Amino acid sequence: MATSNPSREAILARIREGLRTPAPPMEAKTLDGPIFEPVQNPLERFQQECKANLMECQVTADASGSAQVLAQVLNSLPAGEVFLQDDPVLRRLMENSGSARQLQWSSQGGPAETAQATVTLADALIAQTGSIFVSAACGGRGASVVAPCHIVYATARQLVPDLVTALRTATAQGRLDNHSFACIISGSSRTADIEKILVQGAHGPMRLVVILETNS
Amino acid sequence: MSSAAEQFLRDAATKSADLVHREIIRRNMDSYEAAHQRGRSRIKNWEAARRRCQEIKREAIEHLDKYLLQFEEKVIAHGGHVFWAANGDEACAYIKDLAVSRNVRTVVKSKSMVTEEIHLSPVLEKVGIKVWETDLGEFIVQLRNEPPYHIVTPAMHLNRQQIRELFREKLGEDIADADPQKLVALARRKLREAFFAAEMGISGANFLVADSGAIAISTNEGNGRLSTSLPRIHVAVTGIEKIVPRLEDLGTLWPVLATSGTGQPITTYSTLIGGPRRPSEADGPEEFHVVLLDNGRSSLLANAEEREVLTCIRCGACLNICPVYRNIGGHTYNTTYQGPIGSVLTPHLRGNDFQHLAQASSLCGACSSVCPVNINLHHHLLHNRRDAAASGNAKASERAQFRLWRTAMLHPGLYRLGGWMMRRSLRLLYGMGLAGTVFDPMRAWSRKRTPMPLPAKSFRTRWKEGLEKEEQGRGQVGNK
Ligand code: SF4
Repeated sequence: MATSNPSREAILARIREGLRTPAPPMEAKTLDGPIFEPVQNPLERFQQECKANLMECQVTADASGSAQVLAQVLNSLPAGEVFLQDDPVLRRLMENSGSARQLQWSSQGGPAETAQATVTLADALIAQTGSIFVSAACGGRGASVVAPCHIVYATARQLVPDLVTALRTATAQGRLDNHSFACIISGSSRTADIEKILVQGAHGPMRLVVILETNS
Repeated sequence: MSSAAEQFLRDAATKSADLVHREIIRRNMDSYEAAHQRGRSRIKNWEAARRRCQEIKREAIEHLDKYLLQFEEKVIAHGGHVFWAANGDEACAYIKDLAVSRNVRTVVKSKSMVTEEIHLSPVLEKVGIKVWETDLGEFIVQLRNEPPYHIVTPAMHLNRQQIRELFREKLGEDIADADPQKLVALARRKLREAFFAAEMGISGANFLVADSGAIAISTNEGNGRLSTSLPRIHVAVTGIEKIVPRLEDLGTLWPVLATSGTGQPITTYSTLIGGPRRPSEADGPEEFHVVLLDNGRSSLLANAEEREVLTCIRCGACLNICPVYRNIGGHTYNTTYQGPIGSVLTPHLRGNDFQHLAQASSLCGACSSVCPVNINLHHHLLHNRRDAAASGNAKASERAQFRLWRTAMLHPGLYRLGGWMMRRSLRLLYGMGLAGTVFDPMRAWSRKRTPMPLPAKSFRTRWKEGLEKEEQGRGQVGNK
């Protein structure tokens, strides 16, 4: 269906007409130097920021360590189904964790309302803000928000120093040309709408766990 | 005076004397202020950050047509629809027709000031569609049948006891200790049913990214994520001025918006959506519509002097710092956008009935000093005052007073005489015990404040004496 757009031309014409008068120039000012403190040690900074964001970041040395951490996290959750991004890496990890939970894979659709946890990969990790960068490729949209616990499996090689680098890379790789959705997630879901008191787990996950493998 | 102006004065007087309200706002603002300061100290060069954001938004607005077309082309290429709405009626009609034609029964909305501006919910409810506000603050004010109190924190004016009462009455569950954690859990449970039942999700957009054809939404709760992931149709309603040129611009805008909005380094979910679900993707809406709203923005653009008002990123910082907002509260403005930015913007969006808002300022400039995109807000308030006076809407008594004042200022002798007479007659009046009565010309001031003592000497005399003393002092120093 092509959208019928009776006002489109009129709005554009008004914009063009309005812009014929130039705006007063900006006050001349030169402010040199970086806006944000450059990130020296991405791994260390990422861990610090995760803590500040109330995320759990578990650093592991190798794949078997990661499988162990995954098993521990899953064991700490109430009974119920786990949703996973359908990727060979996660299939292997899940197998090695020895968990006997009922699984649902993203190739069969989005996570169910009752899923206890979702497990996904990330496109990148951002040190500056302690964030994980996911796109629809990471199990879809609901994969990072529907369940009470979201577990992300990532490697230290995926760390980028800051937001601008992450966004520039995303543009260069055509992330939003190839996927309908991307999100920079910096902590568990939260609200401070009642008396500015912070409450975790507003509508999305109460826990966000990053399993960060340093030696893969 | 317009009836809106009279209403404003009445509400302002009531609200500023409401002690419970004052206490709630004071506590909220104190905790915002502390977080904001902490947040700012994390940014190495705050002034450079503001400047960068100002440059980005200025560039976008100065080439608005080009960037909107670039955005549109990309969204359509990704399988989405873009509708251009000249006003609120067109926007509402488009969304209503879409909902009706797709058999939508339930809509979940994530926070969007633009949908408040165009009064979308009543239009949908009229055709039998159930609309759920899903941002916790918005959900609370929706249950109370109230408009949002603040553009960032819609339920800032309520304390936990009031929210407990509301939930007990409207949701039928009593959280005895009014624990915020439990209140949030209750809202979560109720809204989760809505998220999974809704056929349409409606969101706003904090930014429209031209080079990627994506909308950017910042939320902490995750409601923005759920309402754009689960329903089969997603409609984003947004003003044309939200455009930014490049995706990487968000690398500065996101942290600055979060810092100014809540003091966070970045909002928990900084989401980018560029179209409906692709065939290879696990989930997501089958349809994606962006409604681009003009509604007076293009006329504001044509006003070169005030054009920069369109660069506002709706962070709410100017509301939080404004001494007027802090005293009269958000609802007194009776507008979608409150505080300094609302006072500047509303007359342009809603016409002359809101010109009085230009007076809702002490012109202290605090708003301009915090604005993360350097909008010279208090100057724009002055411009609006000038325009209101020029449009002939000023009261006759006010015009007469200013004529009198002008004459006095141009004739120093007359001014002196006036001052002398004023002091004399006041002394006489007060001597007769008439202070504070209807005969007291200072009554408007002293009714709600400590009366000012009458000065023994005129300002000019004291000024002169001060100068003489200073000169004497300087002479002594020189003699040493
Ligand atoms: S005018 Fe400036 S301070 Fe006020 S809401 Fe807009 S961006 Fe924030």
